[in-house]
Amino acid sequence: MKVLSKEEALASPHSIGGPNETFVLNLGPQHPATHGVLRVKLVMDGEFIQHAECVCGYIHRMHEKMGENRTYAQFLPNTSRLDYLSAMQYTHAWVGVVERACKIEVPQRAEYIRVITSELNRIASHLVGWGAWVMDLGGLTPILYAFDDREKILDLLEGICGARLTFCYYRFGGLVNDVDDNFIQGTKAFVPYMRERLKMYKAFVTDNIILRKRIEGIGMVSQDMCRRYGACGPVIRGSGIAYDVRKAEPYSAYRDFDFDIPVYPQGDSMTRYLVRMDEIEQSLRIIEQAIAKLPEGPFINPKVPRSIKPPAGDYTYATEAARGRFLIRLVSNGTDTPYRVKLRTPCLSNLSLFEEASQGMMLADAIAFMGSLDLVIPDIDR
Amino acid sequence: MSPTAEQLAAELEPLAVADFIPLPPPPKPAPVKPVAAPAAPAAEGAAAATAGATAPTPVPAAPATPPPPPKPVQICDFAAKGVNLDACVRPAEVVAAAQIMLRHGFAIDTVTGVDWMAQGLMEVVYDYFHPLNGLRVAIRCRLARDAGEVPTISGVFQGANWHERETNDFFGIRFTGHPNLTPFLLPEDATYHPLRKDFTGESAQ
Amino acid sequence: MDPQAGCSPVQPGLKLPPGPASDDIPPECSSLVRFAKLDDLLALGRANSLWPLTFGLACCAIEMMATGMARWDISRFGAEVFRPSPRHADLMIVAGTVNKKMSVAIKTLYDQMPEPKWVIAMGNCAISGGPFVFPGQYAVVEGVDKLFPVDVYVPGCPPRPEALIEGILSLEEKLTGTRRWPKVETE
Repeated sequence: MKVLSKEEALASPHSIGGPNETFVLNLGPQHPATHGVLRVKLVMDGEFIQHAECVCGYIHRMHEKMGENRTYAQFLPNTSRLDYLSAMQYTHAWVGVVERACKIEVPQRAEYIRVITSELNRIASHLVGWGAWVMDLGGLTPILYAFDDREKILDLLEGICGARLTFCYYRFGGLVNDVDDNFIQGTKAFVPYMRERLKMYKAFVTDNIILRKRIEGIGMVSQDMCRRYGACGPVIRGSGIAYDVRKAEPYSAYRDFDFDIPVYPQGDSMTRYLVRMDEIEQSLRIIEQAIAKLPEGPFINPKVPRSIKPPAGDYTYATEAARGRFLIRLVSNGTDTPYRVKLRTPCLSNLSLFEEASQGMMLADAIAFMGSLDLVIPDIDR
Repeated sequence: MSPTAEQLAAELEPLAVADFIPLPPPPKPAPVKPVAAPAAPAAEGAAAATAGATAPTPVPAAPATPPPPPKPVQICDFAAKGVNLDACVRPAEVVAAAQIMLRHGFAIDTVTGVDWMAQGLMEVVYDYFHPLNGLRVAIRCRLARDAGEVPTISGVFQGANWHERETNDFFGIRFTGHPNLTPFLLPEDATYHPLRKDFTGESAQ
Repeated sequence: MDPQAGCSPVQPGLKLPPGPASDDIPPECSSLVRFAKLDDLLALGRANSLWPLTFGLACCAIEMMATGMARWDISRFGAEVFRPSPRHADLMIVAGTVNKKMSVAIKTLYDQMPEPKWVIAMGNCAISGGPFVFPGQYAVVEGVDKLFPVDVYVPGCPPRPEALIEGILSLEEKLTGTRRWPKVETE
């Protein structure tokens, strides 16, 4: 379908009332279903969207500018506040890029614990995304169950790092402190508990005819579209391309674990939904293996210098966050503050295809589609 | 269809230029360390590259010697840098480079602007990733700091539309041919460019 | 009215604490009869049924959602009815960073809420700009009280759900003059 520009949409001869009968509807920035402060200007022909323009910047918090004003260690809290639902994975990228630049070794135990905490965070993030999306579609109950499971994960993570949402658990060369027996036993107990819950979610939500009618066939995203927009994460895996940074650019201890990448070829919102549910199961597999094989040893490299000064040059590091590929491009000039920090966030790339993909969609379907992209708006605006 | 780094190096070679920004010297003089040459690329890439690269020019009055200039198309050690291939092209050639990337099945990762105030240059780095074989390519170009212009690649990769708007917001780099170069993250009436090194914050109040 | 007086259960024959409610009861009236100003009744009603506006901006919004969910359950205090429209809401919980671009929209929303209305500034960003204040910052409004008056400040980054609940209880105390639960004494 040809993507109409705003002028073409407003003058469309195909609208029900005749030419120039389209109207402009404003979605947001305060809206219960945009998952943050996103504004979308929609040119509507009745119930159908002729042109969508996303206006961002309502939660722009200057992270990249702060990267130039903070030392490397002072920037750690910023990384948690980008996509706060998968904060561990974002901090992982920051410590990863600095460790890559300074060639800091990370002990094996710390790598395993990083993997375990990142995967727990991924499950928590998918639960929130799933619950909020089903709530947008009108199913108000699953979010209560999702948040309940998430509280169990947050109890585990709070026990080791003290925070519930914006963890700052990783440090350059390892972790801020070691895990205790409570965490290990609690995680071992959590895995079978979550598997039981997934069965319940499949029976009541995934197989629910109302949900299936709402999201099957909605929001078709082709592989070519994914490449042109740089879409990643469940969006690209729901369109048939098996791309996951944990397998494409293996980092940390992911090479040691046996897990699959869920891929579905159809490219609609249902496949993105199924990718996320399957990813929860794969994360449980990784956690099981990592907890069973957790090596002894130090939790941080004792030889990390107090003041980090990476050699001058460009470095990048990518991690697979819950929403997709998160990349940090660091330009260092040899001092203890970065020269330039570029944060490539998955939600920006995923949302950028909204304008093309929502052409001709009904408004309610566009809401379902936005939920399937699983957006966190501060991730876009940084 | 999945390309190799050497194949891409050969294709990007005609567009590349040996353009070297000496990095600002660190505040304390550091002892000069010999920098190891990068891993030798395949034959056709290397021959053309070494023919085109300029010898490292020592920067006068700098307390420390900057590292020698990168070759215009350089195959990098992924574990050290995070990219497999780093190429420096002329600003006019970024569209052709993007078309090469699209033809080989790459996806656009991001577009980064860097302000080299001391050298009077702006740098734009285009990052690409390949969804099938995980290759990472960075293509960079350098332009004048004030009133710098580079053609838009949003005709090739539509995702670059927003990345270029953001780079324009932060640095004031103009992307010629862009369909909608209005502020993206900054307020609609913003006239300031916050990530320039001479930005003090007063113009935003 | 004594703000420290707790709510006592009503039992026949119970001696009421001194105050306007008990001073003027004629002796022939049963102790189950209460006299109160209409304002007190309205304040009690408003405090126990605060309707927040769905106004999560950033990370604090997730903790606000968690407060509304099963474990922390803001519905115990009558405040679970989050309304998307400002016309229906009487409490704006500003949860997250206030941006200069967004400040126009926030002010419009505040103006659209009908009186009586209250504001809770949740999180460090809403109180004073939070971690995003640095010399030369260009995008963040340093505290939502620069736009309109705030009733309760809940510090934290993000504040725990218990902290938000404490904020709601403080707001109830501000409205009615009595605290629902005694304050927890720290050691």
